Amino acid sequence: MIEKLSVPVSVGLKYDHTRRKIEIKWVLWEGKVHPIAKVGLHHTFRTGRSLYHVFSVASKSLFFRLVLDTDSLHWRLEEISDGLPS
Amino acid sequence: MEAGGDFGWTAKLIMDNLSFNPKPSTIMHLDLNSCFATIEQQANPFLRGKPVAVAAYTTPSGCIIAPSVEAKRLGIKVGMRVKEGKLLCPELVILPPDPWKYRNVHLALRKILSDYTNDFTPKSIDEFVLNLEGYPAYQKGMFEVAKEIKARIKKEIGEWLRISVGIAPNRFLAKTGAGLHKPDGLDEINKDNFVRIYSGLALTDLCGIKIRNAVRLNSMGIYSVRDFYEAPFLKLKAVFESILGYYWYLRLRGWEIDDVVFGRRSYGNSYALPKPLTTVEELSPILSKLVAKTGRRFRRAGYKAQGVHLAIVYRDGSFWHKGVTTLKILFDSRDIYKIAFKLLIRSPYKKPVRELAVSVFNLSDDSSLQLELFDDMERKEKIVRAIDRVNEHWGDFVITPARMMGAKDVVIDRVAFGGVKELEEITLLG
Repeated sequence: MIEKLSVPVSVGLKYDHTRRKIEIKWVLWEGKVHPIAKVGLHHTFRTGRSLYHVFSVASKSLFFRLVLDTDSLHWRLEEISDGLPS
Repeated sequence: MEAGGDFGWTAKLIMDNLSFNPKPSTIMHLDLNSCFATIEQQANPFLRGKPVAVAAYTTPSGCIIAPSVEAKRLGIKVGMRVKEGKLLCPELVILPPDPWKYRNVHLALRKILSDYTNDFTPKSIDEFVLNLEGYPAYQKGMFEVAKEIKARIKKEIGEWLRISVGIAPNRFLAKTGAGLHKPDGLDEINKDNFVRIYSGLALTDLCGIKIRNAVRLNSMGIYSVRDFYEAPFLKLKAVFESILGYYWYLRLRGWEIDDVVFGRRSYGNSYALPKPLTTVEELSPILSKLVAKTGRRFRRAGYKAQGVHLAIVYRDGSFWHKGVTTLKILFDSRDIYKIAFKLLIRSPYKKPVRELAVSVFNLSDDSSLQLELFDDMERKEKIVRAIDRVNEHWGDFVITPARMMGAKDVVIDRVAFGGVKELEEITLLG
């Protein structure tokens, strides 16, 4: 089941300067910390000049679409799913 | 060799004796299979291995535009309605398109491929043609390069992405080769194996031969690809009654005839209406938004136009279209809208509309403007450019014509199907 939403969310990430990579570590969603097991895809898009980074990530049981607004550095959760049909 | 016209006897003799191109294979065709659905499965690991389909709309009457490999195996096809897909496969996961996700993957693929050759052409968002002739990468061997590209795509873009690769002396056979073992194939068609490969193919397995052409070929006693290859040139000329017979004769012998890049001739946008609208009052806000979008795109690419075309597909399946050329050079969306609106009210049918499409043609990149008696063209162009800059800075449709009110959420972003024209725009944006 896929749920579309657009809500502020807390995200933990680590930047590794030796690999020049960031890793999403966890997502705090509805009072529960979801450790991130996998980053499926990272992509970007622009609205006007504002650049957004989209991280499609998965915990053990849930998928999250996380969007970072690079103007405000705020994160939003835009989709959550368990991979089952609606 | 002259392309077209009548051939003399000498030319005919040459054509009848033309053997398969002995040139080594330097062309590589890459095809990202079930592109949109595979990218969605890459993004969301819970969708991997499951039947997934990307649909224009996720509503029951929405059209499926990309089924995953797993969905295809269950009989889900491009063009099916969502409800038909669900009937066939209740566990089918339906997703809306996410164009920027696909464009990002396309750009990442381009980046990898540009490490091997400068001579590569995106044929669509999910297909590329590379020519390695004369490039250092060719020394590694075509198969090695193909394996390396496959491995780099998995490592650098996503492990779920699988591409089919075809290698041949010409583009057509490279594409045919890429279709032999989907979704993860790597095949070469060359002078040594073409007879064996042709023997295993049906006429309709060839790109460009659908039922009608197959029937034409059958009527001349050509029933298989092998027959097609063995048919003399004059027979093919008779089958197609045009230069196409000559093209097919060369293609099947591995000679290049498809390395043509067509220039852009028009810009347009279309919108499939989710609910039936009939009146001009209902349709004009959508028309306005389509014109605004088309106008932005062709101005951004530096074009002006001298023609507007409107096409309407009705819910009953009928179709009406009309185009006009203009003396005036068009660049302002408001002028394009006036012409498109006149075309809309000239439509003789007042029936529920399924799809509305507008385009501009007779493009020129001429920077000079013809002066007009009453309009201050230079001032007008400055205003239009200023509005475009505001929209580019703050996002599409921040400043819009008042007549577009009510069309806020329609005409959503889409990836052009099978086309390559919008790809120049995403590289422009990059």
